[in-house]
Amino acid sequence: MIIKLENLVKVYDTGAIQLKALKEIDLSIEEKEYVAIMGASGSGKSTLMNILGCLDKLTEGKYYLDEVDVSSLDDNSLAAIRNKKIGFVFQAFNLLPKLTAIANVELPMMYAGISKAERCERAKEALGKVGLSDRMYHKPNELSGGQKQRVAIARALVNKPAIILADEPTGNLDSSSSEEIMQIFQSLNEEGTTIVMVTHESDIAMHTKRAIVFKDGHIISDNIVRDRIISGRLKL
Amino acid sequence: MNITEGLESAFQSIKSNKLRSFLTMLGIIIGISSVITIVSIGDGAKQYITGQFADIGTHLVNLKMNSASENIEKRDYYTIDDVKLIKDKIPEVAQVIPSLGGIGSLKTENKSKRMYVSATNADAEKVDSVKIIKGRYINDHDVDTKKSVAVIDNKTAIKLFGDVDIVGERVKLNVQDKNIYVGIIGVFENTNDSLGLGDSENMPGSMIIPITIADKILKNTDISILAVMLSDISHADQTSKKIIRLIENKHQNQNSNKYVAEQGFKELDTVNKVLSTLTMILGAIAAISLAVGGIGVMNIMLVSVTERTREIGIRKAIGARTSDIRLQFLMESIILCLIGGAIGTIIGISAGKLLSSIVHVDVPVSIKVILLAFGFSSAVGIFFGLYPASKAAKLDPIEALRYE
Repeated sequence: MIIKLENLVKVYDTGAIQLKALKEIDLSIEEKEYVAIMGASGSGKSTLMNILGCLDKLTEGKYYLDEVDVSSLDDNSLAAIRNKKIGFVFQAFNLLPKLTAIANVELPMMYAGISKAERCERAKEALGKVGLSDRMYHKPNELSGGQKQRVAIARALVNKPAIILADEPTGNLDSSSSEEIMQIFQSLNEEGTTIVMVTHESDIAMHTKRAIVFKDGHIISDNIVRDRIISGRLKL
Repeated sequence: MNITEGLESAFQSIKSNKLRSFLTMLGIIIGISSVITIVSIGDGAKQYITGQFADIGTHLVNLKMNSASENIEKRDYYTIDDVKLIKDKIPEVAQVIPSLGGIGSLKTENKSKRMYVSATNADAEKVDSVKIIKGRYINDHDVDTKKSVAVIDNKTAIKLFGDVDIVGERVKLNVQDKNIYVGIIGVFENTNDSLGLGDSENMPGSMIIPITIADKILKNTDISILAVMLSDISHADQTSKKIIRLIENKHQNQNSNKYVAEQGFKELDTVNKVLSTLTMILGAIAAISLAVGGIGVMNIMLVSVTERTREIGIRKAIGARTSDIRLQFLMESIILCLIGGAIGTIIGISAGKLLSSIVHVDVPVSIKVILLAFGFSSAVGIFFGLYPASKAAKLDPIEALRYE
């Protein structure tokens, strides 16, 4: 089991009001799953992503990532987990604008303390995997949106993480680029990568295998996508 | 992230903001260059003045009778034998010059001139740096054999003989009630003009006679001062004490405190102290400009941290630790300051050289100054970079990622 949440609660304490963003969530995600997390804005899906990505700390409950109890770790250990176990793909790509594609992909390996030569080799390999071998030395502003997102995926992949967390990865892309990105995720998943993707678009969610829908900090549905399609309820 | 990678990323970021980086460095450049210029000029001035003093004899120690001692007797005064004794027994001594003096007059058949008579030995030529224009100075032989010879100045020669080519002439020297005839063996250049006293007819001329004939002509032949030239200045105090002990033994007045040794140029110490203080004060003022430069660095680093909040968020999301971010920003401010420091050093040295060519004082480029500059600029980089770097390192990754 890659992810196991037990009774997870997240409260935002703004002083005057205590906002309960996640209310007693229990959730398990197995290895090689491909999960969509859906819900309206404010439903708690982004909060969950931040916690899954070890960017935010939970208020109550337990979070096991790859059998490790993450809730008790300090900042440095969390940084190491983010570095080695998690690959982020963001809606806004979040590449460093002054670095070339390959340098962006090398970045996580640099923080992992991998030698320059190995970094270069593995970055090239990852960029090849997302079909960008010919754009390695371009800077983000010389790349299209789809290409940027592919660089971001290569960066997420390069440290061989246990899980890829994608937050609205196609939100800033046109439909053909979106399709490209979904193809890449599809093949990565087929190769055995676990993917958790936040989206509010049902047609994007259709590419996944399991869809979890959030509302007001609760999980309101958790279905196998194929079943839904078969049952004719295409609208998630 | 290790140091090399930190350096790379620092250079990257400095390069991508060239104008801003340069303007930030400018404060450091001005600070470091002014510190270096001032310190170099201070050093140069010190060396120059020390050199000037060396020319006129920093190695000089004057042995005098202690004026505070009340019961100085005739037998306590220095003698010509003491001169020999000191030279023989104390190896650090190069020359010993006794001196006696008196006012008298020099007469030819029909002319006369008032003279200042100094009785000394051959060593005095080197110390007094007289310029002989005819004949020679008195030598050891003249002294040892008590020859009645004299060296006179050129103005006296012209006054009495109308010419300087008078070696071999005999003249009558009169001091109070004593008279002797002396043979002129040399003429030296009168440098009284350099004292600004003018060229008055009434100014006495000057002549030098061997000290061994002083008893024939001078009234007071008690030698109360010996000028001692040391070959090595470094232990001047110890050497002076050795000489005094030697003299005391000779005159059998041990620990009588009748003799004192005065370092010829105590003024040098004073001048050096004043210069050091001056350099320090000016250096401190320059250091203030360095501190202002440092504040500029801090300011820009803070702006840079704010601007790059998102970058920091991204780096944290992909695994940068707090310490990695801190190192990255600290490196940036250190590199900024070091580059500024290097440019400032070059400008400072050039400014020093330029000034030295204008005032003709050699300004040395000391390793000390360069190390000082690098030490200072990295210290400024660390000191003023630490706060922005910690601020960057402490950013919350979620907040930082959301930052537009």
